[in-house]
Amino acid sequence: MNFLSFLTENLETFLTYTGFANATPGHIIMIVVGLIFIYLAIAHEFEPMLLIPIGFGILIGNIPFKDAGLQLGIYEEGSVLNILYQGVTQGWYPPLIFLGIGAMTDFSALISNPKLMLIGAAAQFGIFGAYVLALTLDFEPNQAGAIGIIGGADGPTAIFLSSKLAPNLMGAIAISAYSYMALVPVIQPPLMRLLTTKKERVIRMKPPRAVSQTEKIIFPIIGLLLTCFLVPSGLPLLGMLFFGNLLKESGVTRRLAETARGPLIDTITILLGITVGASTQATQFLTWDSIKIFGLGALSFIIATSAGILFVKFFNLFLKKNNKINPLIGNSGVSAVPDSARISQTIGLEYDPTNYLLMHAMGPNVAGVIGSAVAAGILLGFLS
Amino acid sequence: MMNKYKIVLGLFLLFVFLTGMQAQRASSLRINEVLVINQDNFTDDYGKKHPWIEIYNSSPGTVDIGGCYLTTDINNPRMYPVPKGDVLTKIKPRQHIIFWADNKPSRGTFHLNFTLDPEKPNFIALFNSDGRTLIDSVTVPAGQRVDVSYGLVQDGWDQKRLKEELQLNSLYKGGDKLWVYYDGTVPAGMSRAREVTPSSNNVILDSNEKVENFKENDRIGITMTITAMSVVFIALIILYMVFKYVGNMAVGLSRKRAMKASGLSKEQAKEIASESGEIYAAIAMAIYEATESVHDDENTVLTIKNVARNYSPWSSKIYTLRELPKK
Repeated sequence: MNFLSFLTENLETFLTYTGFANATPGHIIMIVVGLIFIYLAIAHEFEPMLLIPIGFGILIGNIPFKDAGLQLGIYEEGSVLNILYQGVTQGWYPPLIFLGIGAMTDFSALISNPKLMLIGAAAQFGIFGAYVLALTLDFEPNQAGAIGIIGGADGPTAIFLSSKLAPNLMGAIAISAYSYMALVPVIQPPLMRLLTTKKERVIRMKPPRAVSQTEKIIFPIIGLLLTCFLVPSGLPLLGMLFFGNLLKESGVTRRLAETARGPLIDTITILLGITVGASTQATQFLTWDSIKIFGLGALSFIIATSAGILFVKFFNLFLKKNNKINPLIGNSGVSAVPDSARISQTIGLEYDPTNYLLMHAMGPNVAGVIGSAVAAGILLGFLS
Repeated sequence: MMNKYKIVLGLFLLFVFLTGMQAQRASSLRINEVLVINQDNFTDDYGKKHPWIEIYNSSPGTVDIGGCYLTTDINNPRMYPVPKGDVLTKIKPRQHIIFWADNKPSRGTFHLNFTLDPEKPNFIALFNSDGRTLIDSVTVPAGQRVDVSYGLVQDGWDQKRLKEELQLNSLYKGGDKLWVYYDGTVPAGMSRAREVTPSSNNVILDSNEKVENFKENDRIGITMTITAMSVVFIALIILYMVFKYVGNMAVGLSRKRAMKASGLSKEQAKEIASESGEIYAAIAMAIYEATESVHDDENTVLTIKNVARNYSPWSSKIYTLRELPKK
């Protein structure tokens, strides 16, 4: 073999290894999806903390390459991405995220007006509405449970449950959950306007009372004992959520709380986002099931939001005139913290510029986190 | 002096807890399957066929059977001490090991110093490492057939679990007996034969029973929805009730404190206790404005540049110094 032919052969071999030679339409579609995520995050600030890592992860996961045993892809055992992905598949990233959420969440709005917890419960109808719809689309019950949890509007919970119930659908479920969480400002306002009257939108709620530190300390302890005795399968999520909150409220573990809500949650968010994004390799992700999951995810958010709002209207029938709840906080029963509460505030201000609903909406919002973790525990207990 | 007693008591309780935990872990071992007449079944590592006893770890953690005792005589619980220090005696979660009843203990850890009698009933017991606590026992009836094993109807089950399944699981078709014969026949109502399964599950599962149950009995998901939503509501209603009570107590306490501190009437104190944080914030802001923020000379520098504050708790001396606990 002369030098020239050897050089040509080498170049031809090299070309077969490049992304250009291995690209499929699926890869291109997914790269476009990743770019859209990044665009939405930067240009419109839709959940940038999540959409940037996920969007970039989609780009990483969809660089086409020849399978030559080089341990590159996320699904190749022993590859760097695969090792980082273990936190998702083994389900230990979500509880650590919950630890951080607990350490940064102030439950005082809920403690001062505990009846708002019921709104957080009502919004979980989104999960089971999607579960019923998924069954009608011929998904298995365990898959339907994993899809339904998108309606909980809680990314870590969705990843945790789908990694246990339907690992093959986890990529689609995670992307769907995070996408709709980012799109909460688009999905919820029309429903809020549709389901409420002008009179209801200007209801003024009693300002929340001051909550003592003792109450704040008792809350995570009692919360853990009550919810986990009832649903032990919710322990990984609820245990970490309430533990993080105790670190915050105890007042004596400031360093631990700072770490949990700062460096720890940031690190895990980066790893979770990038690996979930990278798990959406076109070959695994672009299926009819993924499209169905996206449709069901949208419906689950619609059901959850509507259920929260309608429940408040129903609940108001039993409340005294000066104690009514503004149904505009019903949407925040879905646990997209704090976005859905922020939407209650924004829409409320549109109709009464002096009516601040944010603190009231934070009550059902954090109750939604507890509610969706409890619902995930139930689904896990029944279907795993 | 009092503190010393507390420390000793605490250590004692910790010891009791830890030893209790150890006991609990060993207690999850089960005698799972026994084959008394082995003619054409499992062979040992010497290529010989002997009676065998399968032990199952029903816990979700690894359990070391080393140090426990196997016996065929209730009056001699320490008949065969399972050697300690052999890594193979560690049984992984929900896994099995086999002991050979060949009366040849010199052949290795898993070769017992007794055999099983094919003519008589065989009592087999597993004792904890103290040689007194019985973990599990079974009496294999006389008249065992060749190459037919006698085992638990499902791995690691006990009477309580069987009772639960019979009461709550309408799909369970395993019958009401805890111990059954694995003779290759298909029992009534079951789809697969009961085969001898040394060192593997007595019933090899090829589907998720829970999922199948929901598929058959809850096709549209209504039962799941009602059940799960009821539980979610119950959980949050309980929390609501508890915190309503706790809140009332807290308001009552702060009212009492206000009355005590300033000699207010009950009604005045009630008003103060139920004031929102916003009012306190407004009062605090007004006081701050009045006392702090009115200066003839400002001590701050006006700038259009962003003030960068690189904050990290790891580099802060305050956080790295341990504070003395309040007495």
